[in-house]
Amino acid sequence: MIEKNKMMKEGNSPMGSKKGQVAIFVIIALAIVCIILLVLLYPRIKISVAPEIFNPEEFLRSCIEGEVKERINILASHGGYENPTGYIIYKGEKIKYLCYIKGYYKTCVVQEPMIKSVMERELERALKTRINTCAANLKSEYERRGFSVNMGAVNSDVEIAMDKIKVNFVVPMKISKGETTKTFEKFSVEIKSKMYDLLMITTSIIDFESTYGDSEITLYLQYYPNLKIEKVLYDGSRIYNVSDVTTGESFVFASRSLVWPPGYGVVDVA
Amino acid sequence: MLHKMGGVKKSKEMKRKVHLILGIGIIFLFGILASCFAEAQELTVCCEKTTSGFWCQNVPSSECDKNFREAPTSCEATSYCKQGVCYDSNEGICAEKTPQVVCNNNGGLWAEKAPAQCELGCCVLGDQAAFVTLVRCKKLSAFLGLKTNFKQQIKNELSCIMSVRSQEKGACVYDFEFERLCKLTTREECERATNKSLKDAQFFPGKLCSAEELGTKCGPTRQTTCIPGRDEVYFVDSCGNPANIYDASKLTDKEYWTNIKDKTEVCGAAKSNVNSKTCGNCNYLLGSYCRAAEKNNMPSYGEYVCADLNCYNTRNGKNYRHGESWCVFNDKENSVGARYYKHICINGEEVLEQCADFKQHVCEESKIGDFSQAACIVNRWQDCIFQNRTEDCENSDKRDCKWLNGKCVPKIAPGLNFWGGQEATAVCNQANKVCKITKEKSLISGTKESGPCADIKSWLKAQLDYCSSLGDCGVKINWIGNPGTSKGYTLKEGKWKS
Repeated sequence: MIEKNKMMKEGNSPMGSKKGQVAIFVIIALAIVCIILLVLLYPRIKISVAPEIFNPEEFLRSCIEGEVKERINILASHGGYENPTGYIIYKGEKIKYLCYIKGYYKTCVVQEPMIKSVMERELERALKTRINTCAANLKSEYERRGFSVNMGAVNSDVEIAMDKIKVNFVVPMKISKGETTKTFEKFSVEIKSKMYDLLMITTSIIDFESTYGDSEITLYLQYYPNLKIEKVLYDGSRIYNVSDVTTGESFVFASRSLVWPPGYGVVDVA
Repeated sequence: MLHKMGGVKKSKEMKRKVHLILGIGIIFLFGILASCFAEAQELTVCCEKTTSGFWCQNVPSSECDKNFREAPTSCEATSYCKQGVCYDSNEGICAEKTPQVVCNNNGGLWAEKAPAQCELGCCVLGDQAAFVTLVRCKKLSAFLGLKTNFKQQIKNELSCIMSVRSQEKGACVYDFEFERLCKLTTREECERATNKSLKDAQFFPGKLCSAEELGTKCGPTRQTTCIPGRDEVYFVDSCGNPANIYDASKLTDKEYWTNIKDKTEVCGAAKSNVNSKTCGNCNYLLGSYCRAAEKNNMPSYGEYVCADLNCYNTRNGKNYRHGESWCVFNDKENSVGARYYKHICINGEEVLEQCADFKQHVCEESKIGDFSQAACIVNRWQDCIFQNRTEDCENSDKRDCKWLNGKCVPKIAPGLNFWGGQEATAVCNQANKVCKITKEKSLISGTKESGPCADIKSWLKAQLDYCSSLGDCGVKINWIGNPGTSKGYTLKEGKWKS
């Protein structure tokens, strides 16, 4: 401001004098310094300018997540199978017996000692089509981004682990653009889930059912505050609904163990 | 059916015994006949798999899946269906009472008796513990990113839990890539890390990672978190370590961010602090637990509060704590179709669990302090009618019976399948009674009646009580309160011919 007033008093245009030019250079220099400082102090500005980094695992996760959740819900509502054998129909749904005995007064025989492995197999089978589609979509996405892609046969495996469901896409893939080449063997996608805990509780309930003929659900509440277990007696069988109150996920299964007949049960023994 | 007849007086005791023997005889005769009939139809065999998809069931041969094995014997006597322990080597879990074929088909290792792999020990997981097998311990440790710490010498669950409770906690300070970092852990974990992965880690007992004196890059924040296995809401430091229990008034208190405080030393001790905006000292036993806050009930800092797990104004009008259970009986005067229910308060919800139908289970409730606990237990009524002495009848160690008008009857009358089969008729027929009244004619006072049923009204009442206590017999109402379509008994009069 002082500089400007002085120039006005002298009756000259600021552009017309050397001092004015120097002043302009100083202002421009200051502006450049300010811009550099802004860029350095606010890295976000820099990021927004930088080109988008493509994350293949994130791409696959967004492709498969919805399907995994849908499929696991279907499997979990039928005792781990999409289309179970050895089931009871309850509220129109086939519920798999994980422990069963025909007749009265006896404890049940374990039908599924490793329900987690069963569910992993069933989930892998149910996701197969979607996994192939997602792998093909990934190839297309790379091609859309100007890469040439060489992709091998698609395989997969599913693991139900603590706090997550892990889907491994075994996809040998070689992508190249110009002189850059990158090779992938597999992609791992993780989806948050409490299914592992529910299956472990289920295994424990089956153990109680086969040993004592029933289970005491309040025992589990002492150790698992986020757990809810509902037990319904239906036609001599028990339908269990084991759920996590924080995520809303649930696992439903049936058991028929230590059934008491009406009366003495000496007539009409099933 | 009750019969009233005039005639000779007989011994009451003798008659009762005859009736009992006849009644029981009829029941077992039906039983024998039914089973003989069934056996004549088809013998049961051991099916490796049934047509319905069940493994190892003793059923008629026609129900066996012909693609699998079957043997004319009990499943326990076969090699393929023999029950034993199935060991899952991936998860380190042992399942008992599993048939060999089921275990092998699933890729498990079957053994008649529990193998050495099934031996339990104490698995230390940071400041928590689990009483599991070695393989399970490895699995859990891997999930939590911890080194396996399995103590085989600890042989019971209680000792296992107690062993980690006494562990000293503090700040484990270490240098990593020219930075001074810190992890809140136990002395044992810190020393273990020093030996294996971290060099020169130093343990400061009782200190938080945010303590200024430690000179780490970890400092106080306004963030809170829930920790698995812990009831309370905790402050979090800038390195992600949990600090002390959330107390809004201590947000800028240096001392509170320096030393580890016990739950009894901080805000709201011995209270549930349900939905408190300022205090996260939740207490699971009092019905509160750390959970994400609802949008309309956010705390002053962070996103977690002590959620209310208790149940209020339940169906019986009372309040219950999380985990409490109590009995509900929908009975109206020992009605037909009634059953016992066990109600449980779980996470603020009243959940009901039916006891076995036909009143084969009854619900029993007791209290530990003021904590209510209920259980469905077996109704042991079956041998009541065999008891002749009051002390045998009312021996609650052996049976659930009561002494009624000189007879032993079930305390809770069982339900009967009266709409199918003959058993209900056989049971109820035990209450049929012939009672003789002697009539003496006198010239002065007219006819005089004597005998055990001379007072027919009180005799009839006693007989009807006995009848209805045997099961779904006699005069009854159903569980919604409607009476039966018939009277429930008949009274016939006749003349005794000697």
